[in-house]
Parts: sequence; C-alpha cells; structure tokens
Amino acid sequence: MTDPAIELTGIVKRYGAHAALDGVSLSVAKGEFTALVGGSGSGKTTLLKTINRLVSPDAGEVRVLGANVRTSEPHSLRRKIGYVFQEVGLFPHLTVAENIAITPKLLGWDKSRIEPRIANLLGLVDLPLSVATRAPSELSGGQRQRVGVARALAAEPALMLMDEPFGALDPLTRDALGSDYRALHERLGLTTVMVTHDMAEAVLLADRIVVLKDGRIVADGAPADLLANTTDPDVRALLEAPKRQAERLSAKLAGVS
Amino acid sequence: MNERLAAAFALLPEYLGWHVLLSASALLLGVAISLPLAIAASRSARLRWPVLAGASLIQTIPSLALLALFYPLLLALSALSKSVFGHGFSALGFLPSLLALTLYSMLPILRNSAAGILGVDAAIREAADGVGMTSRQRLFQVEMPLAAPVIMAGIRTAAVWTIGAATLSTPVGQTSLGNYIFAGLQTENWVYVLFGCAASAVLALIADQLLGLLELAARKRRRTPALLGAAGLAIGVVLAVLPLATFGKPASYVVGAKNFSEQYILAELIADRLQAAGAAVTRKEDLGSAVAYRALAAGELDVYVDYSGTLWTNVLNRKDNPGRAEVLRQLTAELKKRDGVTVLGSLGFENAYAFVMRPDRAQALGVTSLADLAREAPKLTFGSDLEFLSRPEWKAVDAAYGLGFKARKSYQPTFMYRALAGGEADVISAFSSDGRIAADRLVVLTDPKAAIPPYDAVVLISPKRAGDKRLIEALTPLIGKVPVEAMRAANYSVDRDEQKASPAQAARTLEAALKP
Repeated sequence: MTDPAIELTGIVKRYGAHAALDGVSLSVAKGEFTALVGGSGSGKTTLLKTINRLVSPDAGEVRVLGANVRTSEPHSLRRKIGYVFQEVGLFPHLTVAENIAITPKLLGWDKSRIEPRIANLLGLVDLPLSVATRAPSELSGGQRQRVGVARALAAEPALMLMDEPFGALDPLTRDALGSDYRALHERLGLTTVMVTHDMAEAVLLADRIVVLKDGRIVADGAPADLLANTTDPDVRALLEAPKRQAERLSAKLAGVS
Repeated sequence: MNERLAAAFALLPEYLGWHVLLSASALLLGVAISLPLAIAASRSARLRWPVLAGASLIQTIPSLALLALFYPLLLALSALSKSVFGHGFSALGFLPSLLALTLYSMLPILRNSAAGILGVDAAIREAADGVGMTSRQRLFQVEMPLAAPVIMAGIRTAAVWTIGAATLSTPVGQTSLGNYIFAGLQTENWVYVLFGCAASAVLALIADQLLGLLELAARKRRRTPALLGAAGLAIGVVLAVLPLATFGKPASYVVGAKNFSEQYILAELIADRLQAAGAAVTRKEDLGSAVAYRALAAGELDVYVDYSGTLWTNVLNRKDNPGRAEVLRQLTAELKKRDGVTVLGSLGFENAYAFVMRPDRAQALGVTSLADLAREAPKLTFGSDLEFLSRPEWKAVDAAYGLGFKARKSYQPTFMYRALAGGEADVISAFSSDGRIAADRLVVLTDPKAAIPPYDAVVLISPKRAGDKRLIEALTPLIGKVPVEAMRAANYSVDRDEQKASPAQAARTLEAALKP
C-alpha cells in the first residue's frame, strides 16, 4: 500500500500541568472513515486539531499525505484539508456562494472554475441552487451545516476533518446529514476523521473507531472487532450502550404495537 | 439684533470653512492613527492596556488645556527645527489645534475598533483559520468587515467630539466657529455666542447623520447608504472649505488681538487703516497675553497693540519702575535688540491695572488709596480677571502694600464688573481705559508707592515687517493720537448692555475722534 493519509507519532500536548494528549500515535489509511470517540476532556478535539495545525503539539510528529506538517505554512496546509465543526462558522457578511468559494479564491482559482464548482457542491450536499445568493442567517441549522460541508469540500481536498459536525442538529436532520456525508465520502474517495461523543453515530458511519481517554488511545479497531475483543470495561460499556439502547427501544415499540 | 445676526452670517463662510477643514483633518488623522493601533491592540493583550489607558488619559486633560499645551511644545520643536534644518514652522493656529484635536478624537475610535475586532465570534475566527486564511486575510476579509459597524460608531462619536472641541482652537490663534463664542463672551454679544454654539451644533448633527448612514451601510451591508453618506461628507467638506481658497489669498497682513474689547477695537482700527492703504488683512483674535508677543516675535503676527507695563514685566522680567517715558524708551531699545520687534510708538493713552471700588463702599470704609486698602483688606473680597493673580504686577503691588484679602476670586472681565456691582467682590482689578469705570462712577484707588508700572498702549511690529513702508506709513499717524477719553468711550460702546456697537463700528467712531 501507499503512504498513510495521516500519521501521528508520539503526540503530546500540555495545557499547564495537564496533558491533553499524552503520547498518542495513530495512522489513518487513505480512504478510511475514522471516528475519534471519547468523553469530554479525553483529548479527541485536540488530537483532530493537531492534524491541520490549529493546535501545535509540544512533542511528536504529524505527517499529512506523506509530509511533515511543519514543513509548510499553516494556511497552505489548511487549504488542502476540509474542516467542519459544530458551530459551522459561516461568515455572516458573505452569501452562501461566497462562503463556499472562499478556499478556492484563496488558492487563486479562476472565476470560470469557481462558479460551476459552487453549483456542483450545492448539488452534492443536496441544497437547491437558489440558496446561493442568500445570507447564512436566512438558512435553517441543517442547511447551514450542509453549506459548511460544501465549503470544506470546495477546494477538492483529499482529507476531511470533522469536529462533532452534526452535534447541534435535531435527530432527523442529523441522521440524514450523517448518511448523506457517508455517501459523499465513498463517492469522492475521501479520507475522513470525525470527532464525536456519540458512539451510535460512530458505529453507523465509521469504518474504524478510535477511543480516547485522558489523552491516550484506549481502543482502536473496526466496530465489530472492538466489541468482540476489547477488555477495558469503560470501552465495553461505551460500545454496548447504543446496542442496549436500540434493544430497549425495539422492545418498547413492540410492546406498544 | 438683525444687524448683529447679519454680521454673524457674513463671517460664517470663513469661520465654518476653517472649522470644517480643521475637524475633518483631525478626524482623518485620528482614524489613520487609531485604526492600526487598535488592530495591534486587538492582536496583543500586552499592548492593549497601555494603548487604551493612554487614550483615556488624554481624554481626561481638559480640551482647552490640551490645545494650549501644544503651543509651547511646537514652539520648542520649531526652534529646534530652525537650528537643525534652518526652517521653522508656525507654532500657532492650525498645527497645535490639529494635533490636539487628533489626540482628542482617538479614544472612541481606538476603543470601538479594538472592541469590535475582539468581539468577532470565536467560531468565525476558527472558521477563517480553518479555511486557510493567513492572519492578514482573516483581518481584512473577516474581522474588519464584521467590526465595521462598531468602528463606524466610534468614528461617529469622535466626529461629534472633535467638532465641539474645535471651537476651543480660537485662543491658540486658529479661526473656527469658536471665534463667535469667544468674541461674543468678551463683548457680551449673546447673538454671537448663540450663533457660534448653534452653528457648531448643526455642523456636528449633520456630520453625525452622514456618518450614521455609513454605519447603517456597514451594519446592513448595503451599498446605497454608504454611497450617500460618503458623497454627502465629501460634498459638504468641499463646499465648506471652498471659500477659504479666496480668503487666504493675497499675501496679507496678520493683525493680532488679545481677548478683550479694546484689543478688538484697536485691531479693527489698524485693519481699516491697512485696508485703506490697499492691503489685505487677516485677523488672529482672542490670543492669550503671552501667546501674542511670542507669535509676533516669531513672525506669525505682523502687528498688534500691547502695553508697555506688560512687556516690561513679562517679557523683560523687570521689577523696577523708572517712570513712564523711561520704560517706553528702554522697551523700544531692548525689544529691538533682543527680538527684532519694532515698538512703533505709544497710541497716546494708558491702560493700566487699576484697583477700583464702588463709591459707596469706598466711602464707607474710608479707602482712597492702595495703602488704605491694605488696612481694610482682611475684611474684603478681591475680584480679578483670570490672569492678574499670576502676573508680576500683582506680586509687585502685594509686596509694596501687603494686601491680605479675606478671599480672592477670578472672573472673565465682563463678569468681574457684575461681581463688583452685585457686591460679590469689594474691589476688583480693572483697566484704566475701561469705559465702565466712568459709566459706573467707580473709584480708582491711588498708588502712592508707584508699584504698578505704566501701561502705554504701544503698536508692535514683527521683525519681518520692520522695514515695511506701507505698514509703517499707515500706522504712524495713529501714534500719540488716541485720547484716553475716546478709547474709554469706544470700549464702553462695545461693553455696555444696551445698544451695543460691534468692535468694527467702535473702531470707525474712534477713527473719527482721533486727535488732529
């Protein structure tokens, strides 16, 4: 196989005396959909942000697509990596189309290349063309996050980083967006790393689940393997929770009908 | 009433033009300095505190004092630049006003800009980094556009402050709408005072509304109000400043005046004479006593009238009193030698400091001289003008007689006479050429020890006009020709409450009353 898409080696990040990441090593293959799971304070978001240098580690090496991230300027690195986060962060003074076009513009793309790209992206994230000229404030939460995904994909990155991307959405929207994104991941041949605290979401969307606790990886594997092999009781509880919940749900629903 | 209003309107183009030019320049300069400073402050927490605290500190200095402080500072700088580059610059008028107002405008712009930039949502900032903006791109494409409404609100506040404070540039020799207010206060011309206040308030309101359009445009992200506001401001400034292009023209004589009626009248008298000789004249009025002489010596004024005793004590720092003629003789020689200033001669009357009392009060206490006054002083309240108590003349009188008053109060000259009439002050420091002394039948206390120096009104000419034939020929006929009675009558016609004359009218009456 070729180089891994992402390779983290011995990452340490301290905030004062507290180690948010305590020697994390992780390799993500191209095309893989990886979920980083853990409770709050486990270090999952910090780990994700070391990949696009929103966080610089105190020790360890980050390699993206074969190159050490410290060899390029942070902004040029980030232009090659799609980034989606819970608050979305659409620029309120720009229209939807201008928001989507931002990274291609920063990269100096021609207008003739950007315009069809916007239409194409709106189609990919299942939004009507008519939203292009609207302000972000005129959209619903789900529509805004779809724009966020379109913006992250605009410059055709091979790599997508997502930090609780669907966390603030209602369950129906969240489900729809999650499966839509998974389809995009396949179709575009992306490598995706997604942070979530929701194990059900991780199991449903990801090929691989990495569980973090106190800044260390405590479990790593395909969902089914993890459940079969893990010995850590916390991880087991975490993994079994969605299954138990689903069983309780179907039992209750069966009782009603 | 209508006549005074018409006179006020006639001066409007010049005063308004300077006021707008000054305020607009100060505001532009303020924005140009404050914006980069605010950006730096928003980037660095260590810089933020000193920058904002510094701007607040400036704001706590009374604006009049700030304006006044720049004059000696610039004078020193000008002297330095003259010795280093061989070129000085004018320390009076536009420059000190511009600098002080610029400093004054900075606080609201700095504070709002820093707050606006820091107030941008953290998520938006993270998104800007996430999409791959450099920190400069983030600043100009995201933070500044989002902070624009708050920044514009700060500029708006600064504009209103600056336009208001610009009225205070009159005493440092910069023409502004403040000329109405200062001259009006001196001569109790309330039409002028109100006119000046109203004009500056209307100007501030218009600027505020136009800048408000820009703020609205930034807030709603609409282009039309931005264009309207910008066009309104540009057209307004150009229209207001246009008349100055014709005012400033032919190299004209600058006639100075300090801040009281006699000075305005004499400045008009001199201006009339120069204009009759075909010369163009500009006036710099309401100058502080110390400012006026230095400005003349530096060539920023060409001619003005000062008083021998003032120059004797304040400029030559002399404490002795060798008599009227000798003071004049030595002064003429010394000023020429020291500063190149020409004393053209005495106008023929004195305007000395005089201690005066109401006749009933003086009689009841049995006071006719300063020696008598010293005896009664512990029971009495002394009213003086704003500068008398800090002048050497007061120290000389106090040293000679020992005047331990119960209380001392300072007034604008006009209000000083009111205080005497109303009994709030028992004795005041008046001027011997003041028409109100005769009109109110006030008692002038004698000075048996000759502690007060003589105060001949003398015409002073700047070094660079020393050989100017037209100027000297126009003004020499005035020497020795102004009787004190005529000067008193002229002063009173301006100072009285009813049927007030303007300084220009009084000057024409005075011209007609000159000795043949």
